[in-house]
Amino acid sequence: MHKLRHTPGDPEEGLRAALEGVAGPGPVYVLGLGYVDKADDGAGVLVAETLKKTFPRFSYSEHDGVEGTVLDISERDGPATVFFVDATELHEAPGTVAVVPRDMINDREITTHRVAVALMAAILERSGKTSAVICIQPGTLEFRAGTSGQVSSTIETLSRVLHHLMLKQN
Amino acid sequence: MTELNVHSLARVEGHGGITVTLDGKKVKSVTLDIHEGPRLIEQLVRGMKPEDDVNTVPRICAICTLSHKFAAIRGMEKALGITPPEKAHLTRELMMLGESIESNSLHTMLLALPDFLGYPSAVAMLNDYTDDVKRALRLKKFGNHIMETTSGRIVHGENPIIGGFGKYPGKKALEDIKAKSHEMIPDVKRVVELFAGIEMPKYAEVDKDKVFMSVDAPKKKYHMYGDRTLISNGKDFDVEDYKKYTNERVVAHSFAKRSLYNEKTFMVGANARMINMGKRLGGEAADLLKEHYDKAWLRNPLYNDLAQAIELVWAMESLPEACDRVMAMDDPPHEQPTRLTGSGTGAVEAPRGTLYHHYELKDGLVDVADIITPTAQNLDDIEIHLKLTAERMLAEGKGTDEVRLGLETVARAYDPCISCATHLVTLKRA
Repeated sequence: MHKLRHTPGDPEEGLRAALEGVAGPGPVYVLGLGYVDKADDGAGVLVAETLKKTFPRFSYSEHDGVEGTVLDISERDGPATVFFVDATELHEAPGTVAVVPRDMINDREITTHRVAVALMAAILERSGKTSAVICIQPGTLEFRAGTSGQVSSTIETLSRVLHHLMLKQN
Repeated sequence: MTELNVHSLARVEGHGGITVTLDGKKVKSVTLDIHEGPRLIEQLVRGMKPEDDVNTVPRICAICTLSHKFAAIRGMEKALGITPPEKAHLTRELMMLGESIESNSLHTMLLALPDFLGYPSAVAMLNDYTDDVKRALRLKKFGNHIMETTSGRIVHGENPIIGGFGKYPGKKALEDIKAKSHEMIPDVKRVVELFAGIEMPKYAEVDKDKVFMSVDAPKKKYHMYGDRTLISNGKDFDVEDYKKYTNERVVAHSFAKRSLYNEKTFMVGANARMINMGKRLGGEAADLLKEHYDKAWLRNPLYNDLAQAIELVWAMESLPEACDRVMAMDDPPHEQPTRLTGSGTGAVEAPRGTLYHHYELKDGLVDVADIITPTAQNLDDIEIHLKLTAERMLAEGKGTDEVRLGLETVARAYDPCISCATHLVTLKRA
């Protein structure tokens, strides 16, 4: 697991290296998860929405139906990489990023009515796709509070890094 | 003393738990502890305009979002003296079919089924049931598509409005849904086949018939809304009298309210709908209910999963006609309020049971709001069956893991709208 703030040197460079290390051949997809009404919980959605402006066919959010999107990607020919982006309790400073590769995604996730990321990752794996979860530590989950400063900064950085990677691979 | 602790339940998705306190193998008590902080939505909307209220209250839940929207609109239209245009009404019916398909497919196939097939999760099931897991995702995707087509978005769509619809779905989109629904009939029948092949465990079965409540859909149809509530004892009541029959109360260990009918627990959900309205089904759904229904449905909440599976067939079979009826009508203008002070109760069937929204308006603003969710109505009933399950399994000498799975299976069968229902129990021994 790569954690942005724990990387020596430039954190953005560290994140870039971490994502490039995870990404396999083929195009890169981004799937943003979360709930924008609950402040930083919506960080993944905001990253995906930012990238969607440049990569409408490769960046999706909760609003597009995540499970259906994963199913569609899994049925496309050739290799690809899918990065799920989600707010996650990492017990770190707000805005910290952690990259969790496929083999470390917990398959007993506590989720009721959304398909578990582990299941979506497993389906992608079976069709020869690579996946990982990019976790962002939220600062606040207060209803309608808006995104906090540290998390906003992370959203910008992460969007920039993913944009760079997608330009290269897509 | 021993405790079986269950983590995370809530009024909606969120955090709560179950604590089973054991004295040796004797179950001393079972409490359903809701830790999720109250969302206070009813207070939040006080002073709001009705149109703002119906956009705010669905935020209670991103799963039953359209049920909340529909219940709120129905309550508000009654309070404002509005009769919605027929086309709006038919489009709302269509969107509820989409929500049923989306939610029931997820719950039955990916959340409940692993319990019965002996897998810890759908991920573990994937190797042996690849096609079925993908089938569930395809069904969910189709349900989402119907919700998006009708309401404007997959989650928190804003097309359904008081007095009508913001934008009605176009002919091509409806033709596509209709065509796809024919293709997907084998998929929903496969869901029934899977659940019908399961020998339902009896550890949660009571020895007397339970009480089930659901709406009484109009025109003697099977559907997801109504102005009267049916009780399985043959009685019914006007939904405006919901408080007399649901008797909400507060308990110390929970932020979620509880309901009792005549001081007894009752169950809402697909099982209740099938018991109360199943005779109104047509097509293959009717045949499947006839084939698989037996008296155990009245005593064992685990049959709720099979009921949801049959309901999937009903929803899929209903789509072509629902699309045709919407397509056959021109887009009407919105109906306007005939009064600004009044009250009304909207009752709909969310996938997991009856949902009530009650509003009292004063001079065009919300003065009182009251929302009773299906999971809150089911909580006391879940406790009864959890206690029975723990007692029986422990008496039979079942091990910790088996008891834990039994308790989780019972809680999940209610399809509670709570995070963590897929991963509920932690067993602690003193």
